[in-house]
Amino acid sequence: MVLTPDFDTRPVISFQHVHKTYPTGTEALRDVNLEVPQGDFLFLVGPSGAGKSTLVRLLIREEKPTRGKIFVDGIELGRMKRRKLPHYRRKVGLVFQDFKLLPNLTVYENVAFAMRVLGEPDHKVKARVAEALDTVSLSGKEQTYPANLSGGEQQRVAIARALVHAPRFIIADEPTGNLDPATAWEIMQLFLRINARGATVVMATHNREIVDLLRRRVIAIDAGQIARDDRSGRYHDDLAKPQVRAQ
Amino acid sequence: MILRNLKFALNSAWQSFWRNLAVSLAAVLSITLILILAGINLLVGHAFAQVLDGFRTKVSEISINVSDDTPLQTVYDFQAQLAADPRVVTVTFVTKDEALREFKSDPQNAILATQIEGNPLDAKLDVRVKNLNDVAAIDAMGRQWSGVDPTDPTNYQGDFVNRMLDLSEWLAVAGVALLIVLMIVSVVIVMNTIRTAVYHRRKEIEVMKLVGATEWFVRGPFVLEGIMTGLIAAAIALALLAVAYEPAVVQFKSDVGFIPLSYDPAFISSLARDLLIAGALLGAVGSYIGVRRYVRI
Repeated sequence: MVLTPDFDTRPVISFQHVHKTYPTGTEALRDVNLEVPQGDFLFLVGPSGAGKSTLVRLLIREEKPTRGKIFVDGIELGRMKRRKLPHYRRKVGLVFQDFKLLPNLTVYENVAFAMRVLGEPDHKVKARVAEALDTVSLSGKEQTYPANLSGGEQQRVAIARALVHAPRFIIADEPTGNLDPATAWEIMQLFLRINARGATVVMATHNREIVDLLRRRVIAIDAGQIARDDRSGRYHDDLAKPQVRAQ
Repeated sequence: MILRNLKFALNSAWQSFWRNLAVSLAAVLSITLILILAGINLLVGHAFAQVLDGFRTKVSEISINVSDDTPLQTVYDFQAQLAADPRVVTVTFVTKDEALREFKSDPQNAILATQIEGNPLDAKLDVRVKNLNDVAAIDAMGRQWSGVDPTDPTNYQGDFVNRMLDLSEWLAVAGVALLIVLMIVSVVIVMNTIRTAVYHRRKEIEVMKLVGATEWFVRGPFVLEGIMTGLIAAAIALALLAVAYEPAVVQFKSDVGFIPLSYDPAFISSLARDLLIAGALLGAVGSYIGVRRYVRI
């Protein structure tokens, strides 16, 4: 059952017949068509190696499609000039399973880092970092180092860093993969709040409980193709045989 | 914004330098050695040029010996003819008496002078030629002149001059070749230092890229680190060379006295400029190539 949802808003992410074959010959994605409207919250699910990570890497333009076109916010990623890439990345908030925090920087410095690399003035950095840390409920932990934080707190720092540019899209790759269920749930609440403020969220995940509970749009990828696109879906298609949840 | 970026770049370059102290120091010392070699090359080149300049003024002066029976008027005419020649700087007529006095006044001739009876010396025309290459032509003119002493026409030693000119050209080529090799080696050393620094900071670089830092924002600190490495090396090399220069010249003079080498303190400032510029440039080029290879967005 492949279904393209009929949304009234202009798609902000659009995949048109996207193929991705790696130089090794591995065919990671085959003829992927996908439209994501502004403000959508979407789960990418599927077994490991199905192509979720490739899709994420195409979205953040770490890879280019072999064939087909990807548009984000009207920009065709495959034809974007290399020097435009940093400007594109600033519009996207990225959150990863392994947090990607810098261990030698404090919480404040880690979040501020995303603004410092743009050469923003101190007063602006201060205000925005405070706001972002407030959003993720980490005010007061500014001077702590990541090593002294729990996994959930570290992920919240990463989310604050993703939010500090006030991005229109959040792309999260297994953000709860390293977290216990209770913490994972807290992090999900955070993503929902961010989504409620208008940001589009694309999340690749293996977390069946969360997907099934939230009943948001679910795109299931299998063997490089979109197997299912449900407006209000579950982790598994009812017809599919149950799979062991990969961690 | 540029200032803030520069501050950030300087900060991270400095941090990275200290964080990889062992590698940084190895690079500084290697480049110091290379710059010392380059500095010695420049110093030897300079010393040789000094010596050669001395020879040049000597060999660009030739004496045309006048035979004893030449009338004075013929000598004056030829002197005037030479003086009018655009290739000639000055012509001085030295009489037999003056030549003898000159000969006797030289302490090297002291013993010989006591044995001289009468005046065996010729009167001569001392000609200073503007350009070394024209000395041969003036010599030819002198030899063809009717008043020249046919047994000992001039003191021109063509072969010696040409050999010196050849040698100086060869030495210049060898010096440049050596400098090029040294530069390539130091660029490679800086490149490898930067590769290590990039490796140590790969996580930070990854995060920078993901949050949208521009390529040059990521690369800038590494290039600065390379320049810093080159400048520190240049400063050390310069200090060592400056300290060793005078004693080396003194030692050389006492060992090989016949080569008129002299200590030239003014050259140190030009050496300082050359070494510092070379250090900064080598660092910049090496690290630029390094980051282009190892920092991709």
